Amino acid sequence: MKIKKISILPGYNKKKEKENINKIEIFEGQKIGIVGHTGSGKSQLLYDIEKLAYGETKTKRKILINGEKPDKSLKTDPTIKIIGYLTQHMNFMTDTTVYDFLKTHIITRGKHNTEEETEKIIEKVIFEANKITGEKIKKDTNLLILSGGQSRALMVADLAYISESPIILIDEIENAGIKIKQALSLLIQKGKIIFLVTHDPILALDTDKRLIMKNGGISKVIHTSIREKGIANYHSWINDYVLGIREAIREGKKVDELKLICTPAGVKK
Amino acid sequence: MKVIIFGGTPGSGKTSIIKFIIQELKDLKIHYVKFDVLSTDDDSLIKQKFGVSSESKISGEVCPDHYAALEIPKITEKHKDKDLIIIETAGLCLRCSPYVKEGLAINVLNILAGKPSSYGPLLTDADIIVVSKGDLISQAEREIFRSKILEVNSKAIIIDGNGLTGEGAIDVAEEIRKVAKSPINLTLRNSMPTGICGYCYGSKILNSEETLKRYQFGKELKSRVPNLNCGKCGFKSCNEFIRAVLDKKINENKCPYIKEK
Repeated sequence: MKIKKISILPGYNKKKEKENINKIEIFEGQKIGIVGHTGSGKSQLLYDIEKLAYGETKTKRKILINGEKPDKSLKTDPTIKIIGYLTQHMNFMTDTTVYDFLKTHIITRGKHNTEEETEKIIEKVIFEANKITGEKIKKDTNLLILSGGQSRALMVADLAYISESPIILIDEIENAGIKIKQALSLLIQKGKIIFLVTHDPILALDTDKRLIMKNGGISKVIHTSIREKGIANYHSWINDYVLGIREAIREGKKVDELKLICTPAGVKK
Repeated sequence: MKVIIFGGTPGSGKTSIIKFIIQELKDLKIHYVKFDVLSTDDDSLIKQKFGVSSESKISGEVCPDHYAALEIPKITEKHKDKDLIIIETAGLCLRCSPYVKEGLAINVLNILAGKPSSYGPLLTDADIIVVSKGDLISQAEREIFRSKILEVNSKAIIIDGNGLTGEGAIDVAEEIRKVAKSPINLTLRNSMPTGICGYCYGSKILNSEETLKRYQFGKELKSRVPNLNCGKCGFKSCNEFIRAVLDKKINENKCPYIKEK
């Protein structure tokens, strides 16, 4: 199914007040940040979108796809599910191997054509997951003994290569203990609509617009300005520098140099 | 009158989800019954919160699902003027699950509690399966779980539910409104397993000969008591009376109706 536009019709916040916004429209290829304090309703908004809510969730929001009420089968049938959701949860509960888990999910999503193709997808998912985590995941590892970061990495790669949904919801990827930049570049592919719940200023400003959550409702919509994107870029440079030190420490190196003057990458004096 | 039966293992979130469903169906005349083994106060909490009529049934020494099957006709007879009779089973046995053919069978299924294929009629005979606690795991696992449910019950309507937020309650309420009314005579969807051995008469000794003896004595007594569960002996049921006699806690002539050998 081709997704050109997704719309959010206002519902109610925790105080039962109508959300003070007009219809929010998001077009293909756009990235939307969802920000706000903990408990402000960010995850619930993702949930409403994942459920393609139509007034039946506690917020009473309505989600339209291409301007219309989505068909019921879109909500339930995993083979035509249009929404991929990276939740905050980092644990698996199924007692099985990584290989079997991925294989079952490929079959569930209706994506397997030949045995050979299925094998290829599994290889790819594990390969990509290993790029964004620390210790490597193996095919025959039991799911239950994966670390938090490994689980999350596997979920990211699963979302990118098995679910292949045109709309992606990402809940606080910065807490996952994985390489965020690489993980996002796996998930954010051309033409997709991305919703990103985040507390990270760089991620929040690297969007087309951001929804500000308060009291369980959307209280404001801000379009990201060019200036904000510039600031995000600068901030990102500082962040990379700090991450570099972190990596060095993790690899057992000594840190003896401190850079005090930061120059954004690509910006020439 | 519509009979709605909820089954599901303890801790799956049956009561919490039922509360949200009752909230959605406030315009209807509802009677809520909670079956449990030892004790419960859910019935009075629900009465307090929603003002619906309610009662609890404690099964004690009897299998709670067999007990429910025995009690349901009495409940429906007494409350046939109500729009809805919501029966929450104790939810202990995957095999018994006293769903009725002429009503709606709803299984609240905890997604963290194991493989759907290891559930019996509790899951396979349900019309609606409310999958609870799905918010605790990833989307991929939820999708896999869903397909495993469909492998064992392909006709079920699967609804994601949440006892904390009330998610799914509107969808269940909608299905309840759609379902046809129940007649006064109800039948079970599946036969319940029999329980006929010495242990049914309260044996605790793990020895087949002793247990057989106890079964034979118990069966003999069973043929002489009236099986009316009248309560005149001081016990709730004839079975409990038989157990007490076998344990030599009471003399058999305490039963005013017992037949001579």
